[in-house]
Amino acid sequence: MAAVNINEKRFQELMGEGKAVLVDYWAPWCGYCRRIGPAYDKIADQFGGELAVVKVNIDEAMDLARREQIEVIPTLVLYRDGKALASVVAPESKAAIEEFIRNNLN
Amino acid sequence: MNRVYDMVVVGGGPGGYTAALYAARAGLDVVVLEKLSAGGQMALTEMIDNYPGFDEGIDGFELGERMQRGAERFGAQTELAEVLSMDLKAEPKHVVTSEGDFYGRTVVIATGAGPRPLGLPGEQALTGRGVHYCAACDGMRYRGKTVVVVGGGNSAAADALTLSRVAKKVIVVHRRDTLRATKVYHEPLMRAENVEFRWNSRVTDLMGQEKLTAVMVENGSGVRQELACDGLFVSIGRKPSTDLVRGQTELDENGYIVAGESTETSIPGVYAVGDVRTKTVRQVVTAVADGACAVHHAEQYLAEH
Repeated sequence: MAAVNINEKRFQELMGEGKAVLVDYWAPWCGYCRRIGPAYDKIADQFGGELAVVKVNIDEAMDLARREQIEVIPTLVLYRDGKALASVVAPESKAAIEEFIRNNLN
Repeated sequence: MNRVYDMVVVGGGPGGYTAALYAARAGLDVVVLEKLSAGGQMALTEMIDNYPGFDEGIDGFELGERMQRGAERFGAQTELAEVLSMDLKAEPKHVVTSEGDFYGRTVVIATGAGPRPLGLPGEQALTGRGVHYCAACDGMRYRGKTVVVVGGGNSAAADALTLSRVAKKVIVVHRRDTLRATKVYHEPLMRAENVEFRWNSRVTDLMGQEKLTAVMVENGSGVRQELACDGLFVSIGRKPSTDLVRGQTELDENGYIVAGESTETSIPGVYAVGDVRTKTVRQVVTAVADGACAVHHAEQYLAEH
């Protein structure tokens, strides 16, 4: 199951649903964002039960990206109850993404 | 009972997936361990024009995915696993990863190379937050800003030129008093009005907490100057990814695995393909050639063991 790309409206809904949310801020022109893609889809499979694993295209959601202070991409942000718990820029492996989730979820 | 593969390939770039393709087609049971996605270094190259057969060029990421699918069509497997350690002399050879243990009668090392870092405190934390290693990948976000380029070779000169078309100002910091880059780069760089040079100089400190804000530059006379900048592009050569095999296979003084055209390393049944091996020409075409050679020799090894 691939991680779904969401818009700002869906982002706001997810923030209110009580489940932790992992967002990958990306853009089509970002080479490293593409490299993360296959691993991020696997993460969506593995963690789909505990987390909403989604993507936000910053070109389509510029206001959201600005408000969330996304300066560089890819940036992964983990949210719970509408609050950003932690972020990581350009993780270098699927294992690094898993470690980021585990270290910050509990 | 643990599954023992005929071949474990470490790294999913062009060398690794070509080895997997040839191995699968030879009827070998083969798995590729890749930490992120197929393609390796070429996955960040938007257009590859020197891989024959693609007369209009091909996107490096797509070429990587095609090589992966090509190998998988014949039964090669891929695991998105980060290798943590290897015992290459064991029987069978043992590879410990983030996704568990893998065992192979042969191992192909296809870990490639990456940009050489400056080795300064804070460099890793600021990577992607002002510190970059690829102007073609990350240069666009510095439109109208000030950037520093470290290095004086061809890739540094090409980076400086690329950035000069985007940034307001480019400052090249080089430890010698002239560029090592070939002549074709000199004139356009010297002519560019927004490119400055700091000769006989090196970057000694990175400033900034959340984001890079400035670098400290020291010249040959020991004079230090703080240069405010938005970005730093490091282009001081490449570093083979051989930390995992250090102390096991023979390495040369620059850290590359010593192996000839046969790709055989100092350990029987272990092969080194692509940029990680000692060679003079590091290209996609030479990496894929290595992949085919490795399987040829691995088949002989497997027949004898």
